[in-house]
Amino acid sequence: MEIKIRGLKKRYYSEGKVINALDGVDLDIEANKIFTLLGPSGCGKTTLLRCIVGLETPDEGEIQIGDTIVWSKEKGIYVPTEKRQLGMVFQTYAIWPHMNVFNNVAYPLQNMKLPKAEIAARVAKTLKFVQLEGFESRPSTRLSGGQQQRVALARALVAEPKVILFDEPLSNLDAKLREETRKELKTFLGDLGITAVYVTHDRVEALALSDTIGVMNAGHIVELGSPKKIYFDADHQFVADFIGRANLIPATITEQGEAYTFVDTAVGPIRCQKRSFAPDDELVLCLRPEFIEFGKVEGDDVNHLDGTISQMSFVGEMYETEVDVNGIRIMTKLDPMTRYNEGDRVTLNVKAEQCLLVSK
Amino acid sequence: MLKRERNLTYALIVLVSLLTVAPVLMLVMGSFSNSLHSFGNFTLKKYISVYTDPMLFSVLGNTAIFVVGSAAFATILALFLAYLNTRTDIPFKFLFKVLSVMPMMIPHVLFGVSWALLLNPSNGILNMWLMRAFSLSSAPFNIYSLPGMVLVEGLLDMPIAYLIIAPAMGSFDASLEESSRVFKSGPVKTLMRITLPILRPAIMAAFILCIVRALASFGVPSVLGMPGRVYVLSTFIYRVITVSLIADYGKAAAIGMSILVISVGLIYVYRYFTRASDKFVTVSSRGFKPSVVQLRKGKIPLFIILLLISFILIVLPVLVLLYTSLVPYVMVPGKQAFAAMSLQNWRVVIKDPISLRSLKNSLFLCLVGATVGTFLSVLVAYVIVKIKSKASGFLESISFLSFSFPGIVIGIGFMWYFVRTPIYATIWALFFSYVATYLPYGIRPMTSAFVQIHGSLEESSLVCGASFATTMRRIVIPLLVPGIVSSWVLLATMFFRELSLSAVLSRPGTEVLAIQILRFSEDGQWGRLSALGLIMIAISIIMVAGVNILGARFKPGEVREKRVKVESQPLKATS
Ligand SMILES: Nc1ncnc2c1ncn2[C@@H]1O[C@H](COP(=O)(O)OP(=O)(O)O)[C@@H](O)[C@H]1O
Ligand SMILES: [Mg+2]
Repeated sequence: MEIKIRGLKKRYYSEGKVINALDGVDLDIEANKIFTLLGPSGCGKTTLLRCIVGLETPDEGEIQIGDTIVWSKEKGIYVPTEKRQLGMVFQTYAIWPHMNVFNNVAYPLQNMKLPKAEIAARVAKTLKFVQLEGFESRPSTRLSGGQQQRVALARALVAEPKVILFDEPLSNLDAKLREETRKELKTFLGDLGITAVYVTHDRVEALALSDTIGVMNAGHIVELGSPKKIYFDADHQFVADFIGRANLIPATITEQGEAYTFVDTAVGPIRCQKRSFAPDDELVLCLRPEFIEFGKVEGDDVNHLDGTISQMSFVGEMYETEVDVNGIRIMTKLDPMTRYNEGDRVTLNVKAEQCLLVSK
Repeated sequence: MLKRERNLTYALIVLVSLLTVAPVLMLVMGSFSNSLHSFGNFTLKKYISVYTDPMLFSVLGNTAIFVVGSAAFATILALFLAYLNTRTDIPFKFLFKVLSVMPMMIPHVLFGVSWALLLNPSNGILNMWLMRAFSLSSAPFNIYSLPGMVLVEGLLDMPIAYLIIAPAMGSFDASLEESSRVFKSGPVKTLMRITLPILRPAIMAAFILCIVRALASFGVPSVLGMPGRVYVLSTFIYRVITVSLIADYGKAAAIGMSILVISVGLIYVYRYFTRASDKFVTVSSRGFKPSVVQLRKGKIPLFIILLLISFILIVLPVLVLLYTSLVPYVMVPGKQAFAAMSLQNWRVVIKDPISLRSLKNSLFLCLVGATVGTFLSVLVAYVIVKIKSKASGFLESISFLSFSFPGIVIGIGFMWYFVRTPIYATIWALFFSYVATYLPYGIRPMTSAFVQIHGSLEESSLVCGASFATTMRRIVIPLLVPGIVSSWVLLATMFFRELSLSAVLSRPGTEVLAIQILRFSEDGQWGRLSALGLIMIAISIIMVAGVNILGARFKPGEVREKRVKVESQPLKATS
């Protein structure tokens, strides 16, 4: 089912201050795809998710799930949470400690007043799906973090909702388990093919899981697009910066060529992938460390930057390396086996198509 | 805030207002009225009569000495015990736990009576024994005096102070002390220069709470003060409504107003100190273990003192009552007394219609009242903790209103209130006044229980399609069982022995146990009093123990534990 959100606003009042947690959100979430809301903590992701499930009542706007309007300020519609038939995995999992695994998972079905046998069968099926067979009678207080996460997932799935929502479901797991679980989750969601709305502040999760990413900041959706679009082709400095490590250097356009846009920056003139902007846009050049190469490569489409290696930090899979170009420190990467040393004079190469111009 | 939450909040505000705000308003209006039946014609006559009463001066003096003295005694004793328990290697630490809950089992009025039996000037057992042993011509002690009241009230209020001071002392950041020790201060100097100053907010809070309790106390002043004509404010009110020819509820209300003002002021000071001590607690909540002081030579004498305090607080009152219930009149224990022992008093009491009626009434009020009170507490605590809005903040303040009010004063307010309703002089008058007055004690354990239930546990239930009612029944209530048990037990024990409200509102036919004890004491029927008192203590203990056992059985997760034991082994590897 698709979700349509129009002009959604939510304000909180806290200690005499007004917080615009949602400041006019317009969003279309495609049916049967994985949609991720990505943004820094406090930007309003949870609030938006809670408005969709109905745990929070917005101040203005409209939310439509499938064909049903579940909230509308103007039309005075509010469908309570329990009638929206959604599945949700909470950040804390919210597994009920006084119930065993079976009862936790069976709960949505019990609320639908299904016959006992059918409940048992569907719970067994769902537990099998999340690979928790045989855990029915385990008290939920005796589950590891990863198992709790799966019980939460099973509970969200068991009633076969048309939409499932996740609020940072991996943030309570340790780094290694998080990676494993993320991969599993991708498999599960791929198999299910239902609409999933996934909230996270972790760019890797967002990139790895989503069909579409919506980047949020300060109560707004800043940009919307596929993971690649967001990563390679962001329109805004905020998005480019948030989605990956980036060197951001203020730039001004000197010429719009046929194939390239030429800009002037503190590190010298740069040719960039072609983009047009409104005349008074302030522009920023975004260079990702992974696209900067060492050594001189000739070519029409390559930019050269001359500088000195000012710092190298060995972090295992690479050297995080800073190169001083005209007094600007450029973040780059070097192979851990590199023969370069601090203080070496180097030339950096960046392909024009990997020089991204974004607006501030 | 969702609509049903708003409705619940407003419904509770109305209900709780009727219970707590209404009697206070009635008290205020009553104090400006002529009499119960000419209500509303504004007059200052009652205030003038109070403030020109020749007794008032001595009453105020007595009250000041009584409350400050007993609070100081209770706090110092609590400090001593808390230090012994949390900071030293004294043996048998379970005694402290017993000491802190035991006064819940023994009603204050009975504790007072047992001291009267020991130390009253005409035939106190200990006095008579001392007179005989040392051939004294008069009784060496007189418990019917201000110092006697201070001592007994102080012993009774000690647990309140202990329960505030001990946790603060136990969660003390040892490094604060250790750093002092590093700079070569001895343990005593460290105690004086570091430990006590840091604990000052907790100590002050305990002291002030004890003052408020002593100000509200009616049991000790009535059984120990009134026989010697030592009146404090609470007994002064009682005198105005019982001893004089015509009960003057207007004057009682006017005195009550004065107590109320003092009480509310003190509670504000208390809040000030607890706010400060909250800050202190957060500093130290990181699981520090305070250093333990080796007592060495002091261990045995201190342990003997501890045993003595336990004996005085727990064993002695029961022994005295037991002995008195078995002898025909008060006599020194000895051959003669043992020869005269019989169950005569017990036989009389269990056939005495008024005693039986008071037992029946108290049981009803305790069982039904605690159940209704707990139910109301659950709802109020839910709104206070889970629905954060201006209205729920208001509900919180009106629910805790009665916390600062002495029962006898609230009782006067209820008198003015109920006399206008059909429930006047019925058991329901006691019922509603109990629930209203003791509501804060029911709410407290529930709010901490609710705080522990993370909001997402309920929210996920809603997302799973459960209605509000189902969420309550299947998620919230089961998780609240431990809180519900403590609320219920607290309310039940308090209702079962309630004295000060009942002293105003109880009428022939609606006697309760504590009132019947008071009557026996006024009539000097010590044997019957003791028998009835012991029945009372026994029922209290059975009730508390029973509910705790029941609560433990229903504790979430525990029931299913057994079935799962086998499976739980391999989990260790994965978790
Ligand atoms: N119940 C609330 N009361 C007051 N402020 C809130 C409340 N919930 C969220 N906020 C504020 O709204 C903003 C958005 O919060 P949230 O949606 O939780 O952010 P995110 O999930 O993106 O970290 C934050 O500034 C947060 O402090
Ligand atoms: Mg969040």
